[in-house]
Amino acid sequence: MVTYQLTSTLIGLGIAISILLLVRRDHMRGTYAVWWLCAATIALLLGIFPKVFDKWAASLGVGYPPVLALVLGLGLILIKMLTMDLERSHQERKIRRLAQRLAILEARPQMSDADAAGVDNDTEAL
Amino acid sequence: MSQISSICDSGQDSHIIVIPARDEEKTIRTVIEGIKSIHPQEEVVVVDDASTDATAAVAQAAGAKVLSLALRLGAWGAIQTGIRYALETGCQTVITMDADGQHEPAYVNALIQPILTGQADVVIGACPDRVSRARRYAWSYFRLLTGLKLEDITSGFRAYNFAAIKILASAEASLIDYQDVGVLLILRRKGLRTVEVQVPMGIRTTGVSRVFSSWWVVANYMLQTSLLCIARVGSGKLLKFHRNI
Repeated sequence: MVTYQLTSTLIGLGIAISILLLVRRDHMRGTYAVWWLCAATIALLLGIFPKVFDKWAASLGVGYPPVLALVLGLGLILIKMLTMDLERSHQERKIRRLAQRLAILEARPQMSDADAAGVDNDTEAL
Repeated sequence: MSQISSICDSGQDSHIIVIPARDEEKTIRTVIEGIKSIHPQEEVVVVDDASTDATAAVAQAAGAKVLSLALRLGAWGAIQTGIRYALETGCQTVITMDADGQHEPAYVNALIQPILTGQADVVIGACPDRVSRARRYAWSYFRLLTGLKLEDITSGFRAYNFAAIKILASAEASLIDYQDVGVLLILRRKGLRTVEVQVPMGIRTTGVSRVFSSWWVVANYMLQTSLLCIARVGSGKLLKFHRNI
């Protein structure tokens, strides 16, 4: 008979391997890869040792341990979504300023060598 | 900072007129010619907000400097482009006007007068009578939320001095979508003085308002601006704002 621990281990292993493969194939930037590697490690550890939640739940006064796992999981997902929107806003700001910068540069009648050198410095002003 | 050849390179009191335009080929020539007929020395900068028609070509043919955006950034994104251009070229004052012909070029001098005399950093050409009762209720609601004492908070006919140009050209102002409450709140937070000058405005002949184009857009605008106001509660509220000179 398949035990609960075996099921959770397989799920944790599946998640961890998928994330590791994506990181290994350079589908993710460094900062994101660190987050997901941590997530993979936690998924794997909690998959192998699901009883950890029973102990935490008891010490935190949660009557039904799986609820603690779900609440923690949802909390982490919300945090991740929040950071994603922050990152998107940051990128949106940069894209807008880049488009503005491009429009101003394109309006230059002729670019001298001095101006061309200035363009490199202007990237800081994006 | 690299320089672009501009009329602003020539003097201390230099100013430019910035016109954000999206699909305004029918009116942009009249607007530019109207400005040039009264202020032949003014540099008119049209910021083409990724138009799908011939706005950029028509504006250029009419004698304006055209900055063409590769992406549609919205009204404020286009105006900020003009403001950044002004900062880069060393302009001391920026006047913003709409491309639909609502704003009278004859009142540009009245608009910049409080800046030239040092009475204000930002001047809004106000014409509250031009809008519907519903829009006036919306303004009252935003005034209540923000504590702004200005009558016409959405007017696009404005003048900014160099201090305001520096603030509004910064990255801090780049996530704003409209040239109204968000811009005024940033300026108030930085301690700049804003005044209103009563001006007449014409009736829009073509196109529709970007903010009041549909109920969905209006709802989205109200929600976003309300959130912006609530997020800024207490921020710089003690700074004095003047009105109606």
